[in-house]
Amino acid sequence: MPEWTTILLRSFSLVIVLFFITKWLGKKQISQLSIFEYISGIVLGGIVAIHSSTTEYPFMYGLLAMLVWFIIPFIVELISLKSKSFRNFTQGKSTVVIQNGKIMEDNLKKEGYSSDDLLENLREKNIFKVADVEFAVIEPSGSISVLPKRENQPLTAKDIGLKLAPTKEPETVIMDGKVLLEPLANLSLNTNWLETELEKQNVSIENVFLGQVDSNGQLTIDLYDDKITVPVPTQKPLLLATMKKVQADLELFALQTNNSQSKEMYQRNSKKMQTAIERIQPFLK
Amino acid sequence: MTVGSDVKTCFASIKSIEATLTGLAVQTTENETRKLFESVNQIIKEIKVDLDKQVIMLSNEEPQYKQ
Repeated sequence: MPEWTTILLRSFSLVIVLFFITKWLGKKQISQLSIFEYISGIVLGGIVAIHSSTTEYPFMYGLLAMLVWFIIPFIVELISLKSKSFRNFTQGKSTVVIQNGKIMEDNLKKEGYSSDDLLENLREKNIFKVADVEFAVIEPSGSISVLPKRENQPLTAKDIGLKLAPTKEPETVIMDGKVLLEPLANLSLNTNWLETELEKQNVSIENVFLGQVDSNGQLTIDLYDDKITVPVPTQKPLLLATMKKVQADLELFALQTNNSQSKEMYQRNSKKMQTAIERIQPFLK
Repeated sequence: MTVGSDVKTCFASIKSIEATLTGLAVQTTENETRKLFESVNQIIKEIKVDLDKQVIMLSNEEPQYKQ
């Protein structure tokens, strides 16, 4: 067998082997790799490089070496999934560097972080003042995670006691002018429904680049032709407006009538409508 | 326009609200949202019943406008 066919064969089989090994070793990002995983990755690459470009060494030796460098990280990963102490040993632990707003100088020194490094990392998190930090740790990967003091945390809906309607993830039902049946079935809707909705908006499905349905069953679309304006869904704002109008009407009737029984009825129902509006308002936005 | 027709218009609006709410409750996949729409719909139904009686009473009071 000529040398070049051997090289071809070796390279092909090694590419396949390497592909499966990287697949089985997991989905971690390069930046999340521990030193050990990082090194074993390099060594695997090196072995493949040597054995695919030269024929000096028997092919089996290469496979054998790869097997070792695959099995040991694989086992280490399996054990560290099960055992916390083993995980601490192989992947390292996070170190607290700021606690109760005070910098732990000893821990900082232990991790080899200078005060400049700390400031730099905090700046990357948009924090320019150490006094704004309540708690910070150095993760095993070397990055810093920061918990700002309560008053420096961004304001959330929970903080101001705002009630928001719960939402689920929207489903994409039209892609490149074609209906995706599976997401549609997830929402327990069918193509007939989709056709009616598109007809309401006066567009045909071929013109739709992307269409999504939110958890309230509202369809929003983007067209290929950006000059055409798509009507904004009006059902919900319209409902709220009608409810408000009815409430105002009832109040008006209560003022107009002289029949005390009717007056009482109008007032009671106007109040009921008011509570209904208050309850439904967050859901109609 | 008489009071009777005003109240009738309002009654029609309430029926439209009820229909929209029923539609929304059917469409949503979120359980909490559906429950809210249904409970609000219940309130609307109570108002509808009250107003229905009023419509009948008013049309009896204004027989001249009856076709």
